[in-house]
Amino acid sequence: MPKPTAIAQAFWDQKSALWSQGIYTFKEALGGYALGCSLGIFVALLFAAWRPLSSAFMPYAVAANAIPIIAFAPIMNNWFGLLNPFSKMAIAAVLCFFPVMINTLRGLTSVHPSSIELMQSYAAGRVSLFRRVRIPNALPHMFTGLKVATVLSMIGAIVGEYFGGPTEALGVKILNDSSYGNFTDAWAGIVMASLLGIVFYAVVALAERLTTSWHPSARAFHTE
Amino acid sequence: MSAIAVEPSNRGIAGALPRAAARALLLVVGLAVLWGVWEGYRWLGIREHWTWPFKVNDTNMPHISKIWHAFGQPLQPDGPPLRHYLWHYAIFTGKEALAGFVLGAAIGFFLAVALSQSNMLRRGFLPYIVVSQTVPILAIAPMVVVGLGTKGVSPWVSVAVIAAYLTFFPVAINTLRGLLSPDPEALELMRSYAAGRWKILWRLRVPASLPYVFSALKISATASVIGAIIGETPASLQGGLGYAIVNFNQYYSIQPANLWATIIVCALLGIVFFLAVVALEHIVLKRAPENVA
Repeated sequence: MPKPTAIAQAFWDQKSALWSQGIYTFKEALGGYALGCSLGIFVALLFAAWRPLSSAFMPYAVAANAIPIIAFAPIMNNWFGLLNPFSKMAIAAVLCFFPVMINTLRGLTSVHPSSIELMQSYAAGRVSLFRRVRIPNALPHMFTGLKVATVLSMIGAIVGEYFGGPTEALGVKILNDSSYGNFTDAWAGIVMASLLGIVFYAVVALAERLTTSWHPSARAFHTE
Repeated sequence: MSAIAVEPSNRGIAGALPRAAARALLLVVGLAVLWGVWEGYRWLGIREHWTWPFKVNDTNMPHISKIWHAFGQPLQPDGPPLRHYLWHYAIFTGKEALAGFVLGAAIGFFLAVALSQSNMLRRGFLPYIVVSQTVPILAIAPMVVVGLGTKGVSPWVSVAVIAAYLTFFPVAINTLRGLLSPDPEALELMRSYAAGRWKILWRLRVPASLPYVFSALKISATASVIGAIIGETPASLQGGLGYAIVNFNQYYSIQPANLWATIIVCALLGIVFFLAVVALEHIVLKRAPENVA
C-alpha cells in the first residue's frame, strides 16, 4: 500500500492522462447508466400498469438480482468487441437495470389506498392517477435506485475493462499498472475513478434534492 | 379482523403444496421460454445475418444443448469432465464468499449496534461509512489481492476481505435503521420498567431490527459472491470461479460453451447463497408478530 502523499504526487503528475482515461471510462458508464436506468423505469411503469405481467415476471427479476451479473462482462466483451465502448455500456446497463426497476416499481405500487380512492372519487382516469399519484410517489424510491446505479455503472465499466479494453481506458490502465507492480500509479487511477464516481453520485443526489424536496420522506430525513 | 389475520396461516398449511407446485411450474415455464427465445433469436439471427447489436453465430450464441453438453466434456483428453472442475471451483469460491459474508455481516451488525447507542458516534461516523461505499470497491478488488499478496497474506484471505467489505455496508446501514425503528412508546414502556440500555437493546431493538437485517443479508449474499469472483480474477489465485472465467475467456473463440458453463455455475452459486439467506430468514422470523398472527 503506497503512501497517500506518493499517490497524490502520482495523481498530480499524470493528471491530464488520468483525466482523459477517466472521461473515456466515464462515458461508457454514463451510456450504460442512461440505457439501463431508462429501460428500468420503462419496465417498472409497464409492470405497474399491467399487474399480471408484474406477478409473472417478478420472481425472475428477483432470481436475476441474485446472479453475479458482472460475471457476464467477458461475454459482453466477446459479443460487442473488446475495443467497442458499447461492450462496457452493455454490462453497466444490465447492472443498473435491476435496482432501478425494482425500486421504481415499489414506489409506483406502494401508494396509499386512500389516495387512490380519493382520485377515483374525482373520477380520475388511469393516466391521471399515474401522473398525479403514482409517479410522484415513486420519485424518492426511484432516486434510491438511481443513486445505487451510479456506483454500479462505474463498477461495470471498470470491471468490464479488466477483462480487456483499449489502452485509453482507466480500468485497463489500473490493471496494467498493478500487474507491473506500479501500485502508486494504479492507486492514482483508482482515486480518479472514485472522484468521478463521487461526482456522479453527488449530481444524482442533487437532482433528487431538487425534484423531491416537497415529499414527506425528505422532511422525515432531515428531522431524524 | 381475526378472519383477515387467520387467513394467511390457513393458506400456509392447506395451500403450501399447490403453491410449491405452481412455483416449480413457473420456473419450468420460465426456463422453457428463455430457451425458446435464445434458440429463436439465434436461428433468425444466423438466417438473416444479423450483425447488430452483435454478430449472431455459433461462437457468440452457442446452442443451449452444447453448453449443457460441455459440462460432461473432459478438459484434457482422458481427464475428468468440466463439471468436476466447476464443482471444485464453486466450492472454493463459495468458501471465500461465505467467510467474507460472515465476517462482513458480523462487523456490520456490531458497528450498527455501537452507532445505535450514541447520537454523537452516529453523527461522526455515518458519513464516512457512506463515503466508503462510493469507492468502486470491486474496481480495487484485484489490486487489494495483489497488494496484500506482497505482504504475505494468502490470496484466499484477501478475497474474503473483499467479500466482507461488500457485505458490511448494507448490513450496517439496514441494521442501524432497524435498531432505531422501535416506536418511542415502546421505548418509554421499557424505561418505565426500569430496563437498562442492554435490556432495551436485547429485548426491543435487536428483535425489531431482524427483518431489516435480513433484507440487507439478502443483498449482501449476492454481493459477497460477486466480491469473491472478481477478487479472484488476478491470475495469482487459481482454483476459483473467477480464475475459470479469465481462463476460459481466453479460449472463448474455440470453446465458447466452457465460459457459458462457468457463468451458469456463478449464477447458481449466487442463487444458492440468496436462497440460503431466505431459508434462514424463514426459520428465524417464523415467530415474528407479522408471521404468527
